[in-house]
Amino acid sequence: MQLANVVGHAISTVKHPSMTGWRLLVVQPLTTQGKADGEPQLAVDSLGAGTGHQVIICNDGAGTRQLLGHKNSPVRWFVMGICD
Amino acid sequence: MRIAEVIGTVTLSRCHPAVQGYRWIIGVPYSLKALKANAAPDGEDVVILDELGAGYGSKIGVSEGVEASMPFHPNKKPLDAYCACILDALNVR
Repeated sequence: MQLANVVGHAISTVKHPSMTGWRLLVVQPLTTQGKADGEPQLAVDSLGAGTGHQVIICNDGAGTRQLLGHKNSPVRWFVMGICD
Repeated sequence: MRIAEVIGTVTLSRCHPAVQGYRWIIGVPYSLKALKANAAPDGEDVVILDELGAGYGSKIGVSEGVEASMPFHPNKKPLDAYCACILDALNVR
């Protein structure tokens, strides 16, 4: 789990079937100093986080597959919570 | 999943039997700076297995690590990167 900034969102028609119906956010993971940690990631979101929000993202692939209800999903990151 | 731009394809003459017959593309991942400036991607290029038919210049979502071979579970494939989605639009601010 890691803090991240939501920097945008993506739209995709041709995709793995497990991602159908899910919001896809562009999130930038952060270091403890609040700086960018690596490259931006795509994460699925069920909470309605928007651009500019700070969120907690989780890189538990098994958890994501459970969330999406798909045993073969290639998605790793999902938005776990929105920071107040 | 990182965001990458497709810059080419790869053709294999000999390969591991588990990955025979698939299409391979080369993708360059975007940094946040490049995404915000709408500039060319600036990451380290990766070879990606593609089942969706991503073309040159397409922006794609690349699954890496264990998740790259999950679409084929319970079959095992030696994969590092898998093209999970082709992005139609990307709104980054």
